[in-house]
Amino acid sequence: MKFYQPTSIREYFELSSSLTDKTAMLLAGGTDLMPRFERGEILPDHLIDLKKLSDLYQVIVRDEFIQIGALTSIQTLAENQLLRNEFTAIQMAAHDFAGAQIRHRGTIGGNIVNASPAGDLLPGLYAFGATLTLIGQASERQVAIQDFILGPGKTALKPHEILVAIRLDRNHFESSFQKVGLRQSMAISVVNLAFVYLKKGEVYQHLKIACGAVAPTVVALDKLTSTIMDKTSKPEDWSQLIEADISPIDDIRATARYRKLVIPNLVKAFLNGKLYE
Amino acid sequence: MLHHPNPHQFQLELTINGKLVKREIPTHLRLLDFLREYLGLMGSKEVCGEGECGACTVILNGQTVNSCLILAVEVHGGFIITIEGLSDTRELTEMQQAFEDHHAVQCGYCIPGMVLTGEKLLERNPHPTRAEIKYELAGNICRCTGYHKIVDAIEGVKDPDQGGLE
Repeated sequence: MKFYQPTSIREYFELSSSLTDKTAMLLAGGTDLMPRFERGEILPDHLIDLKKLSDLYQVIVRDEFIQIGALTSIQTLAENQLLRNEFTAIQMAAHDFAGAQIRHRGTIGGNIVNASPAGDLLPGLYAFGATLTLIGQASERQVAIQDFILGPGKTALKPHEILVAIRLDRNHFESSFQKVGLRQSMAISVVNLAFVYLKKGEVYQHLKIACGAVAPTVVALDKLTSTIMDKTSKPEDWSQLIEADISPIDDIRATARYRKLVIPNLVKAFLNGKLYE
Repeated sequence: MLHHPNPHQFQLELTINGKLVKREIPTHLRLLDFLREYLGLMGSKEVCGEGECGACTVILNGQTVNSCLILAVEVHGGFIITIEGLSDTRELTEMQQAFEDHHAVQCGYCIPGMVLTGEKLLERNPHPTRAEIKYELAGNICRCTGYHKIVDAIEGVKDPDQGGLE
């Protein structure tokens, strides 16, 4: 296995385009990739470590948005005050993410590109409508996260293209994150949810709920939230509206039946203001 | 240990426990295997091999990491502290002494990782609550005694303001 550490994006593209070999892989924090090798997956002929690309660590704050470099660690997200105040669901997910050793190494870009249906940062990023910046050799494009993740482990990345940054618009929404796991930390989520909202009195001016580990990708419960906002649904309709958007499966962590019960329960607890009681 | 049909060599240089180390290694060598098999530093243990248990914890550039999830080549030029490098004398650190005083050790396999995680916690937060200690220890698993005595030990470090790593 040949190992490379390009130190600029230009150097990365020169290298990447010279490796027409199909067994070239990209490495960020390695916390998902290394266990795959441990389990016997064949190592690639070429491994390109992105961690020397200093541009991918920048966190840029403007009045209208925050832009987070793809190599920003989960620990850095957990400690970021602006995220804590304005993108609480994402900061909460980062705080409860695995253990310290993994948070120090794992990256936001890796969590996105890994495209796990249970990735803990993803519901918050979906519910806040994150936009991803992808750069190719002669192109740059912006893609909404729900158009980027296509299925478990599948993304819209083209050959040689890399995810460089994640942009979140500062709309000053309230938000919250909830996960159910077999233990509090170090456990892949059975389900995870992010709630992003703006409420005036009893009325939701904005409401977005995204949940993970209940479908091949994270899903937004738009049938539920749109009818709550325009007041065309009643509480007795909510379970059915939620079920219309999810398609959980049985796996080693929980059954589909359990997931179909726990998601409406958590959503209703949130809507009734009793999520953390 | 990872295997690759076409090993490729790499000239690695890094600082381990204050000493500059240079070795030629295969690119697919994990940091954990480099420490144990090339340098004979057996304090970092392998249990799960997939980043769940924390027995292989070392400090890389000031942060705890799982050395089983890192290739040695990734940390070329880096600074690493292992349990062997915690004290530069033969004396125990305050943290190590507290583990002994509180009988926090049974089989001992998880303890190097526990101690390093505890040291980094007290460096940042010299007087943590029990909840903060438990949160910080989430990535270190003990299968002998449970965690009470380990939490007692970290809570009971006699002079936490003097401890910690540079």
